[in-house]
Amino acid sequence: MSRVDVDVELLDRTPRVATSFATGVATGLGRPGARGELPGRRLVLPGVRQDLPRLAGFCEVTGGLLADTVPATWLHVLTFPLQVRLMSARDFPFPMLGMVHVGNRMRVHRPVRVSEELTLSTWAEDLAPHRKGSTVDLVGEVRVGEELVWEGRSTYLVRGDTPPGAPRGEVSEAMGDADAGGSPDGAGAAARAAGPGRQVALWRLPADLGRSYARVAGDANPIHLSALSAKAFGFPRAIAHGMWTHARVLAAVQPRLPQRYAVSATFVKPILLPSTVVLRTGGQGLGDLAVTDREGSRRHLSMQVDGPL
Amino acid sequence: MPDQLTDAVILGGNRIPFGKAGGAYADASNQAMLTSTLDGLVARFGLAGERLGEVAAGAVLKHARDFNLTREAVLGSALAATTPAYDLQQACGTGLETVIQVANKIRLGQVDSGVAGGVDSASDAPIAVGEGLRKALLGASRARTPMARAKALAAVRPGDLAPETPRNAEPRTGLSMGEHQALTAREWGITREAQDELAAASHHQLAAAWDAGFFDDLATGFLRLSRDEGLRPETSVDKLAGLSPVFGKGEGATMTAGNSTPLSDGAALVLLGSPQWAAEHRLPALARFVDAEVAAVDYVSGDEGLLMAPAYAVPRLLARQGLTLDDIDRFEIHEAFASTVLATLAAWESEEFCTGRLGLDGPLGTVDRSRLNVHGSSLAAGHPFAATGGRIVATLAKMLHDLGPGSRGLISVCAAGGQGVVAILEGC
Repeated sequence: MSRVDVDVELLDRTPRVATSFATGVATGLGRPGARGELPGRRLVLPGVRQDLPRLAGFCEVTGGLLADTVPATWLHVLTFPLQVRLMSARDFPFPMLGMVHVGNRMRVHRPVRVSEELTLSTWAEDLAPHRKGSTVDLVGEVRVGEELVWEGRSTYLVRGDTPPGAPRGEVSEAMGDADAGGSPDGAGAAARAAGPGRQVALWRLPADLGRSYARVAGDANPIHLSALSAKAFGFPRAIAHGMWTHARVLAAVQPRLPQRYAVSATFVKPILLPSTVVLRTGGQGLGDLAVTDREGSRRHLSMQVDGPL
Repeated sequence: MPDQLTDAVILGGNRIPFGKAGGAYADASNQAMLTSTLDGLVARFGLAGERLGEVAAGAVLKHARDFNLTREAVLGSALAATTPAYDLQQACGTGLETVIQVANKIRLGQVDSGVAGGVDSASDAPIAVGEGLRKALLGASRARTPMARAKALAAVRPGDLAPETPRNAEPRTGLSMGEHQALTAREWGITREAQDELAAASHHQLAAAWDAGFFDDLATGFLRLSRDEGLRPETSVDKLAGLSPVFGKGEGATMTAGNSTPLSDGAALVLLGSPQWAAEHRLPALARFVDAEVAAVDYVSGDEGLLMAPAYAVPRLLARQGLTLDDIDRFEIHEAFASTVLATLAAWESEEFCTGRLGLDGPLGTVDRSRLNVHGSSLAAGHPFAATGGRIVATLAKMLHDLGPGSRGLISVCAAGGQGVVAILEGC
């Protein structure tokens, strides 16, 4: 995934997400969309010391246990401000507000300790057609010194905007049935399929979960914060952060995760808050995981863990 | 059940460096520290996916939600989920008592292996609501109508809203442990200088052990700590002499923050097994668990000092084993306070105490100070209550292994409630 010819924009501090949101909203109009080009820049932030109290809060909100090695989803959270900065910048082709996080992949090359100082980097690539529009990947890396310890790839969907020349109906490989729009009946087959069969946990998600997660993860997208702010964006109630659900599942299987692994998650249908959901597994071992409603008729998240690498 | 008891051997241990209350582990729960310590032990001995006989641990300051603390730690660790676990609590004696329990089950052949120890956090201590508010909330939860619920809650008075934090005080006497010990220190005439000397030695010897790499296979760094946070290698008797007394009152008060253990956070675990299990897992035995004794004293009536129970337990244990203090190569006497150690040593040297209280013919004897807490103890390491036993057992087992087969070590831990837990190990 490396691109040799990219420019590097060296950051000296973590970009403020709120500032990026404001820039994104203020400059969202008139962007070229799928006809445009992704910025070639790579944002790099060296010298990142991890914030222990915030990590403890993250673990608490996502049902994990504070340990010396940090959750993979925590490293995603650290790179998130860089993603937002890149997506809100004027040279990004899409307006940020319409972008929906539909899938996420991570590779953990080795356990990362909370005491380690990190270099984060993020760039955009793979603008691809999707049956509902286009997808773009925000790619992240975490290094300790020169050593690559974590890779992440967040796939965002821009609805109704297909790159020119792309045959409509060609579906981006990983995120086939993603439909974060929340329409109850128009979902793909995966949303209805019960998927992995065995229920292994039941979670009651409180109405303020989005606010709790936003505090520790720094993602204060209004669709997660309150019913009122979510309504403004077409959701009947606030929806859980997809990455919260992802982190909650990883925390649940943490004791069985190998040291080096890859994990891929697809955010199928949003979870309206408050809600009760269940974690299902395909059987022995990790393999396939899914978060569904209690009846198992509506799938919110599909996840696959591969490892040890 | 086998006709003959099998041996229980100590194979090693793992602890995290101990933190100061409100320090490096301020954000870590008991659950987090115990699970990480267990995972460190599992990694060190290659036990991932193994079903062990049992895991026994405990915490003194414990949240109600942590009723199954140790089992939850097992489920959160790399051990097989089929490993049973239970919680045990005997104040500061918790860690050593869990070792005794697991060792006894191994000796009886009921289990072939086990992990024992404990954890405590003074930083993440539970805070309870005041009694008035608690009763009102319980009443409201039992109420069947909104009116009845409102009435129950209306009983709350502003004063009920103040939370109750756990106090380091004996319920029956209202005195803190330090205040109790100040009475004992005065009774035995333990000088300020002797206490400060013991404290300085504890820091210097623990620092030397860390420097020499002694703890490399006994501890795993955790959350930015790679050594005990309260360790002061540069301290001295002169520096300690400058501190003001905090326990006891007025003229003759000798106990300071420097010669008393600080409130601490941490966890420590010990791996035990039968010799056969150890051989099957190619793990060398460090020491054999020989025997243990627990004594209790009547401190409530003032008949004896709160922390003097080990002074009774050790002579009983030695007598049962046919040993004297001279047969012991290493003494590990938990430094709740420097004066606790010194009062215990003084008692064993006292003819009056040993004949009057213990029923011996004369003094028990003198502890060779060069054999006492040779790698430091709780004054320097800190004392997360339930973790101390595990720290001491693993440390002593390794020391005895280094001394060679047949070497003997004695552990003495005083505990709240006027109890004392003591044990003897023998080097392998």
